[in-house]
Amino acid sequence: MTEYEPSRFHPKHGMAMTCREMFERLSEYVDGELSQQICEEIQRHMEGCEPCVAFAKTLKKTADLCRRLPSRPIPPEVAADLRIFLAAHLPKPK
Amino acid sequence: MPPQDEHALIEASRAGDSGALDALIRSHQARVYSFAMRMCRNVEDAKDILQETFLGMLRSIREFRGESKFTTWLYRIASNACLKKRRRGVFEPQPDQEMSLDELMPRPGPDGRKPEIPDWSEDAERALLRGELSAQMEAAIDRLPREYKIVLVLRDVEGFSAEEAAQMLNLSVPAVKSRLHRARVFVRQELSRYFKDQEKV
Repeated sequence: MTEYEPSRFHPKHGMAMTCREMFERLSEYVDGELSQQICEEIQRHMEGCEPCVAFAKTLKKTADLCRRLPSRPIPPEVAADLRIFLAAHLPKPK
Repeated sequence: MPPQDEHALIEASRAGDSGALDALIRSHQARVYSFAMRMCRNVEDAKDILQETFLGMLRSIREFRGESKFTTWLYRIASNACLKKRRRGVFEPQPDQEMSLDELMPRPGPDGRKPEIPDWSEDAERALLRGELSAQMEAAIDRLPREYKIVLVLRDVEGFSAEEAAQMLNLSVPAVKSRLHRARVFVRQELSRYFKDQEKV
């Protein structure tokens, strides 16, 4: 991965994406939000760019790890305080 | 809760049924609390946010017309409460601090060669099993400026879509995607640092 690598001409596929262009779109790529054409361009770039492959894998892993963070259980006293706090504001039972 | 049950509870709540309101609060309180804790990392603040969120819900449930999902609507109130809250006793990264992609992008070596990017994705699985990673993740997320942190928490921790997060935060979808990308790249960088240090150990 280089900072401002110019677009390169790929003998089979025409213009290849630069590291920088790819870097900008990697989250959308790992989230599956890009068109097939752009995904193919990214895949072509990655065939010849080991740092970009490692970056994409670890970026995807970062998002996966966030999804697996344990939730914070609500302490019973916080739930009880919420009831007390809201009691004054709840409409009277019908 | 099945969507039809929630729909019935919302309708009854809008009509002023306090039992339905209570059931609606109970079904969302744990998730809202966890979100608030993640955002402010302080029980007292999370409690305030929880109370403010459900008070906001009580006050405006009649205006909820089902144009968005109920959860999206509720998280909009919770997100506003989080963003308004000033954190106690914790270093707060500068608000509105722009995160530049140029600064976050790995630099080439001094000789212009491609930078070495270690692939630690397998190490992460092992560290997760050893229970070491959650605290590192939490700390890295906490170092993000709040406007970026909330996007990452809503998208990657809470699992909302970019469209839902955009509605909650009153942002455009491209703005959500842009902040999410910067936030993720930052957290990835912090984790890379952690795994590099682990290697030295």
